[in-house]
Amino acid sequence: MKSPFETFNMKNYLKELSEVNTKLIKGTETLVGIDEIDVGTAPKELVYKEDKLTLYHYTQEGKVTCNVPVLIVYALVNRQYMLDLQPDRSIVRNLLQHGLDLYIIDWGYPTKADMYLTLDDYIDGYLNNCVDVIREKTGNDKITLMGICQGGTFCGIYSALYPEKVKNLVTLVAPFDFSTNDGLLFSWAKNMNVNALVDTYRVIPGDFLNAGFLMLMPFTLNIGKYVDMLDVTQEKESLLNFLRMEKWIFDSPGQAGECLRQFIRDCYQGNKLVKGELKVGERLVDLKNITMPLLNIYASADHLVPPAATRPLNNLVGSTDKSLYEFKGGHIGVFVGSKSQKELAPAISTWLHERGNEEPVKKNP
Amino acid sequence: METTKDFFDTWIKSQERIVDNLTESRKKIQQALWGLGSNGEGMSGFGDFQNIYSSWTNAVMNALRDTGTVDINVIRETLSKTLSGSNAYLKLYEIWLPLVKAIREKTVSPDAYKDLTDPVKHKEMLDRLFGFDPDAVSQAASQARKFLETFTGSVQQFMKPWAAASEKSSKTFPTLVEGHPESLMKIFHDMFEAFDSTIGRIFHVPAIGKDREKIELLLRGIDDLSVYLAKNIEYQNMMYATGLGAFEKVVESAAEKIKSGEESITFDEFFDLWVKVNEKTYYALFQTEDFSKMQGELLEASLNVRKHFFKLMELYLYDFPIALRSEMDDLYKTVYEMKKRVKGLEKRLGEVKREVTI
Repeated sequence: MKSPFETFNMKNYLKELSEVNTKLIKGTETLVGIDEIDVGTAPKELVYKEDKLTLYHYTQEGKVTCNVPVLIVYALVNRQYMLDLQPDRSIVRNLLQHGLDLYIIDWGYPTKADMYLTLDDYIDGYLNNCVDVIREKTGNDKITLMGICQGGTFCGIYSALYPEKVKNLVTLVAPFDFSTNDGLLFSWAKNMNVNALVDTYRVIPGDFLNAGFLMLMPFTLNIGKYVDMLDVTQEKESLLNFLRMEKWIFDSPGQAGECLRQFIRDCYQGNKLVKGELKVGERLVDLKNITMPLLNIYASADHLVPPAATRPLNNLVGSTDKSLYEFKGGHIGVFVGSKSQKELAPAISTWLHERGNEEPVKKNP
Repeated sequence: METTKDFFDTWIKSQERIVDNLTESRKKIQQALWGLGSNGEGMSGFGDFQNIYSSWTNAVMNALRDTGTVDINVIRETLSKTLSGSNAYLKLYEIWLPLVKAIREKTVSPDAYKDLTDPVKHKEMLDRLFGFDPDAVSQAASQARKFLETFTGSVQQFMKPWAAASEKSSKTFPTLVEGHPESLMKIFHDMFEAFDSTIGRIFHVPAIGKDREKIELLLRGIDDLSVYLAKNIEYQNMMYATGLGAFEKVVESAAEKIKSGEESITFDEFFDLWVKVNEKTYYALFQTEDFSKMQGELLEASLNVRKHFFKLMELYLYDFPIALRSEMDDLYKTVYEMKKRVKGLEKRLGEVKREVTI
């Protein structure tokens, strides 16, 4: 056995430091050579606009092979282009290639003028209007809702309120049972005075939420990630992908105060959705009203929305056709990981094709 | 393009400075290599070696500072975070250096880690990581004092002892890092003594008519600030103590690796180990109910300060011909309700039209 630290070599330490410097210099050269960080590049057209919200229809360059249109509903936190972050790892492009007819909601950036928007306004107002626009445009009585994260919770609530308008429900990493303390956000939110937060800020700054997300893994997200980045800075495409992710992470819209107040108080703190006590507007939300086919996707290593919060949905709905899909990875991996492209997107497509309408497949619009 | 040209001019100058630094540092590095271990003099060479980064990073940030567009902002932010990450990396290196020296002299042991750790540097690194701003509290106290000074000249010196106590408190943090929780009590003692001998006096001042409301609100704000300060100290102490515990584990783990016969671990491996152990240790802290409660209380305390500050601002601005925050809130509420009503009516109208058509 060697004596402790006998093999220490000072030259190695100098070499390591020197390498960091070299990487930093070369990385900065690559950084300043990047003109544009393009995200959300899949072609789409605007089909509806209301206040800050925009509804887009993705251009299907091939043939639509599943005749039930799909509305993608992202969370109010962060931006929906996560699903089309980089062209070679885009869930949107992947689903389009599988013949799906896709729509997506961009919630926009709330300002203080939006501070009074409630959960009811987002779900029974904006979301309901978007669903109606698509139903009218496509001639379908029912459409598929595909909700992501908080957007999945919204879709679940909406499907319970309007089951007659929803053909299939797909939820991805969406929280429903908030009683768990598995995820730090779930534990922290329970001791947060949300009334003081909303009454003080009105519209909660995106930076405030980001600070919370960074605290989940402070050393990795504040230091380790950037030190690791130095290893890829000489490859422009890898660096560009890193920057795309950075752009998305810190592109955080503020949160309309009243909506956030209700979401934290009633869901995170009161767990009312599971208890059947959540009220949206004047209506009680009963998850048993969800009777359409359900595909509930969770990520086994999700540190933001732990499986304990997502999995219980299948036991709470009234659907008989319900599937639980385990994605082996983390929250973000669901959207941009290679497994997401190779396994998850095809699985969603297959599941939806099997539950399409019986009418003839529509032609490309 | 002018901006690009300016950027590269600055860039070239920065490169020249780097070469100068490198030349100078190389000499010292050589001395360090030859002289290390005998009297510790060689260590200074490493400090200068690292200055290459600071001059270079400053130059890069200056060059990027005024270049517009959204994407440039992302690049600038990323570069800033990368440099900040690298600075933390190097800060860890500074902490690592005395350990290196001990390794060289074969005097290191996990038990002696405290002697090898510079608490001030460790605190600086944690401050950077968690965004603690030691100046923020004294700035807030100073701002409150200015408010009072603006309000009336007769109390100009009123807040100074309290502000001084606050500043003194914020400087006591390194002592906390060294693991002396009793210093926490000293902070409170100093602070409240100063508070009592200054702010406390105002309660003996006769009522002063319509301005009394402002005074009371200001006092309430100062009271909130002191609650926030106390919570902040508790919170930071919790974070620093956890950080020290984590560092102890890192040193133990590194020593174990080498004792078990592994080759000397590189600084990169040490860094990875440091990240891994810290994440695990802090995660264990973050998961506790105590931490969650403390974080919630700290947030509430900070929000109370902010809320009273806004109220006070409104009182001072009330006589000016501008829309106040609360007035804008009323306006937003009215617009929101009207829009909702109009949307409802439009929807109903559409339904009626469809019914008539059918």
